[in-house]
Amino acid sequence: MSTRFDIEVIGERINPGFKSTQALFDTSDIAGIQALAVRQAEAGASCLNVNVGARAMTDHAFLTDVIRAIQEVVSLPLSFDVPDVATHERCLEIYDPRKAGGVRSILNSITEHRWDAMRLYRDCPFRVIVMASERVEDGLARNNKTAADIASTAKRAALRLRDAYGVPLDEIFIDLSVSAVVADTEGLSRATLDAVRLIGSDPELKGLHLMGGLSNIGQQLPAKAADGSDLKHQLENAFLTLAVPHGFDTVLGTPWRSYEWLPEGNYVLEAYRFFLGQTGSHALRAVRRFYRS
Amino acid sequence: MNDMSPQERQLVEHLSDMNEDDALALARRMLLDEGADPLRVLALCRNAMDIVGKRFEQGEYFLPELVLAGEMLETIGAIARPLIVHAPGEAPAKLGKVLIGTVHGDLHDIGKNIVSFMLDINGFEVRDIGIDVPAQTFIDEIRAFRPDVVGLSGFLTLAFDSMKETINAFDAAGLRGDFKVVIGGGQIDETVRAYTGADAFGTNAVDAVNLCRQWMG
Repeated sequence: MSTRFDIEVIGERINPGFKSTQALFDTSDIAGIQALAVRQAEAGASCLNVNVGARAMTDHAFLTDVIRAIQEVVSLPLSFDVPDVATHERCLEIYDPRKAGGVRSILNSITEHRWDAMRLYRDCPFRVIVMASERVEDGLARNNKTAADIASTAKRAALRLRDAYGVPLDEIFIDLSVSAVVADTEGLSRATLDAVRLIGSDPELKGLHLMGGLSNIGQQLPAKAADGSDLKHQLENAFLTLAVPHGFDTVLGTPWRSYEWLPEGNYVLEAYRFFLGQTGSHALRAVRRFYRS
Repeated sequence: MNDMSPQERQLVEHLSDMNEDDALALARRMLLDEGADPLRVLALCRNAMDIVGKRFEQGEYFLPELVLAGEMLETIGAIARPLIVHAPGEAPAKLGKVLIGTVHGDLHDIGKNIVSFMLDINGFEVRDIGIDVPAQTFIDEIRAFRPDVVGLSGFLTLAFDSMKETINAFDAAGLRGDFKVVIGGGQIDETVRAYTGADAFGTNAVDAVNLCRQWMG
């Protein structure tokens, strides 16, 4: 019986954070980047994220080549994670929606504080990822550390996008920044999961997508869990097992990783539940349970 | 440290093996009941931290061990320090001064906080000026604090530009030669270091401590 989650995966691999991808960028290996795009498409990605790192700002020709080359070989829409608005504008100019079945690209990302890129919307509409991890208060950006703050920021931003720009809710993705458990001593993982519940159950926000990148969750942890399983992957699955039932429907992730439900009693799922109830150094001790029995 | 008594060796082992309760109980007993030299106990703690750091670099330990060991060291330090008042000599000199902050536009603080904490317990005088710090604030703080090392932290891709701007501003203010600049964050690599003009980059707290030690050595 297949126990895969019914979720969309935005392919994350075109990003210099992956060493093998960095090597492709270092050698300007366009054919290698195309192969990586095809591999993600074949593995079931619904969209491909493009992040070429700092080079996006200094080497516009390379950025152009990368986007065109990807669109030559896959018919998926692209999502652009670039450092500034000018670079994003350039991505929008290069991106050809006709090569992606007419589907709009995704801007990854804005926050309440970094809203400037929305000025590009009227000339060339796009779908948009909003990071709900920070808000603006008295003109200053502040971190959201509670579920209520995350959820209210998400709602405020989504309704502003809909009402002021006409972005349909189902073209808005709320990025819930899934924390690395290794350094989470402030209950951020708990807050994120509670925020999923709050936003997912709000009738006014029906259609809105809830998403997050999962690669951080197991950062700086050993490869194997205490039960011998693949710790990072099981942590991703543990998060999804708790979040998907409440409306989390999109992952920025690796398409060929099979994201699957964890059964009750699974070692990592239980250790994750225990961890979610801890803060401070108790949380660090709870993290050690993942890899030390 | 080769001249350890069996009890001292035991303390180092409890600390480096992460036996938190045993380590703290033994340190308390040595300091409060048996009148052990507090400077000696702190030296044992640093010895244990070096072992923990090595195990971290070898992939045997991970961030939780690093931070929990640091917390043990802090707890023992809090007991030991008031006992040093009667000891001869002045306060132990700090290894050097480090100013650290997350650059403008980025609000991430977890990595920065861990680096601050680890530098502090490793004997550096650390001034952490928070998140979303404009270049001018860095410059004002540098003029007041006179650091040996300035650490710029950032997690988002937009932080690369802020780091570059901040380092350029150090240059424009005529300060760039007065200290080393290290950048750090989850997405930082050699390309980003070269782009920003920093002296070095690190991707974890042990990197940061090692770099600062090299520069102060």
